[in-house]
Amino acid sequence: MAVFLQSLISGILIGGVYALIGIGLTLIFGVMRVINFAHGDILMVGMYLTYMIFTLLGIDPFVSVLITFPLMFLFGGFLQKVFINRVLDALAQNQILLTIGLGLIMSNTVMLIFTSDYKILSTSYSSATIKVGGGVSVSTPLLISFLITAAITAALYWFLLKTDTGQAIRATAQDRDAAQLMGINVKRMSIIAFGLGSALAGTAGALISPTYYIFPQVGSVFTLKAFVITVLGGMGSVVGATLGGVLIGITESMSAVYISSGWKDVVVFVLFLLVLLFKPSGLMGKSRT
Amino acid sequence: MRKHLLALGAALALTPCLMAQKIGVINSMSGPEAPIGENITNGIKLAEEDLKKKGVNVQLVWEDDTGKPQISMSAMEKLATRENVVGVVGPYTSACSNAVAKLAEKYKVPLLIPAAAKEEITRQGLTHVFRMNAPADKYASSLIDAAASLGKPKTIAFIYENTDFGTSTSKTAKDYVATKGIQVVADVSYPKGSADYRSTLAQIKSKNPDLVFMVSYVADAILLMRQSREVGLQPQAFLGAGAGFTTVEFAKERAISDNVISCTQWTDDVNWPGAKDFGARYKAKFGKEPTYHAACAYASMIIMAETAKASGGDRTKTRAALKSGKWNGVMGEVKFADYDGFTNQNNHQMLVQQIIAGKYETVLPAQFATKKAIYPFPKWK
Repeated sequence: MAVFLQSLISGILIGGVYALIGIGLTLIFGVMRVINFAHGDILMVGMYLTYMIFTLLGIDPFVSVLITFPLMFLFGGFLQKVFINRVLDALAQNQILLTIGLGLIMSNTVMLIFTSDYKILSTSYSSATIKVGGGVSVSTPLLISFLITAAITAALYWFLLKTDTGQAIRATAQDRDAAQLMGINVKRMSIIAFGLGSALAGTAGALISPTYYIFPQVGSVFTLKAFVITVLGGMGSVVGATLGGVLIGITESMSAVYISSGWKDVVVFVLFLLVLLFKPSGLMGKSRT
Repeated sequence: MRKHLLALGAALALTPCLMAQKIGVINSMSGPEAPIGENITNGIKLAEEDLKKKGVNVQLVWEDDTGKPQISMSAMEKLATRENVVGVVGPYTSACSNAVAKLAEKYKVPLLIPAAAKEEITRQGLTHVFRMNAPADKYASSLIDAAASLGKPKTIAFIYENTDFGTSTSKTAKDYVATKGIQVVADVSYPKGSADYRSTLAQIKSKNPDLVFMVSYVADAILLMRQSREVGLQPQAFLGAGAGFTTVEFAKERAISDNVISCTQWTDDVNWPGAKDFGARYKAKFGKEPTYHAACAYASMIIMAETAKASGGDRTKTRAALKSGKWNGVMGEVKFADYDGFTNQNNHQMLVQQIIAGKYETVLPAQFATKKAIYPFPKWK
């Protein structure tokens, strides 16, 4: 029972961070119909940013989210304005090639600067735990990052549902042409959406860095995961991405215990295929015609 | 005229000695294995310098395999057919080495593998493939022997990455504990790069093993130990086989790495000729402590280059000379022998070490020990 609870709790906590990565990707896709293959690399940039802020300025990784978030927002906005906006009407494969290229440039630039050495960010609480009782313990940094994730997600919902800009973003996602006809500056919405997506990915990077390790190629692991989460939840659906993230977290954790660690990815992909088989548009996705 | 001819003859006879020996190097210089690959690169660079001082001219042809067997194979093809090298030192990982070994045999190029652990590599009767380091079975047996001599462990749990290195090391370990009457209570492999091993470790904790045997590369080793502490996994000893548990980065994480027992091919406090000096010069040049990979690579390059020179750059003669030769250097005595089903395998003496106060200290075998082992593993703070 302790093992079951332990794996359920770590699954949910790690799933929260996955959700944050997924939400960023789904937001970008929703607004621009561009599949961002550089998403994991943006997350990696966020990790290095956190690492730099921690080692140079001595600011705690969780506090540094306050710096990372706006910086990554600007970075994302810049990418959108300079690169992505130019290919919005191009063929899908051109967009994919562009984002893959941007990702490669990011990871290789970081490799030139920091070398390929693994960086470990050790805080005083990196392996601290809170004992819950019954032999179950919760990792303190993971719990904090989960709480921050939850807060950010809630704020994002509020932003998308209640503010004018949020509504304009959703309108752009629903129908780009109609939104433009209604007087919404869709290019600007795209910049905001890409900025937000990047900021979320960067924040996820910041939140993982106290418990994970940092290296220039770390992005590929998370790009793939973000895809599974986004497609599972339904492309473009923020609720779906949240659900997908937590679901993948729990599935990984549970299958590692009850089937085998080596098979957990297989279980995740089988689940993924099953969802696509029975609900091709994803859990929360609306089918498009 | 006759004088001139003589001079010309002498010059011609001398050329093979003066001519640089062309030697290939395959290594993981980029990609996920690059942090360890860097040690190999540095070791070889130091060897190149020392060879020059000794008057052995080498021309190294560097190939980066990025840690992928298929790239390693194309590098070997290129070195063997286009570059026409006398011999090749490398690659780093077991998967790459195993792939390249068969090609070395096909092209009849002497291949000296410095630091790959998988046993099969030198167990296929390949006559052109030599290996400097002790293979995986030695990791397992020296660690388990050490634990058995320090306490009375009855149960053991295995956790290892599902790569060639991880599975082959733990497989031999499992066979070995069976002969020692130690019971395997958990046997878990994991895909490298996962963020969360807590559930797996909690499961192992529920079995309450006396020993926990781990096989991982750098980053996962730190993650596994951190999360072991989180879930409160408390065996008599943590045994870390190979790569990830023998790096400076790992030792630096004192909160979780202290008292972990690992084994290594080499340390700079061992009394093998030149070992201390190599350690000091490496540190001065690269600003980092050398790992065993660096020493293995250094010794491999020295042996390959000197043998190639003595054989006049001829592949067949180089192979024969490697087979019959005997050396004594930073890696202790080196001889490529056939034993226990191995071919051209250096029967290397492993050193068992423990991280004590953030430093690797050799604890076994007794003649090389710098500190007494701490056993059992102290309670987590």
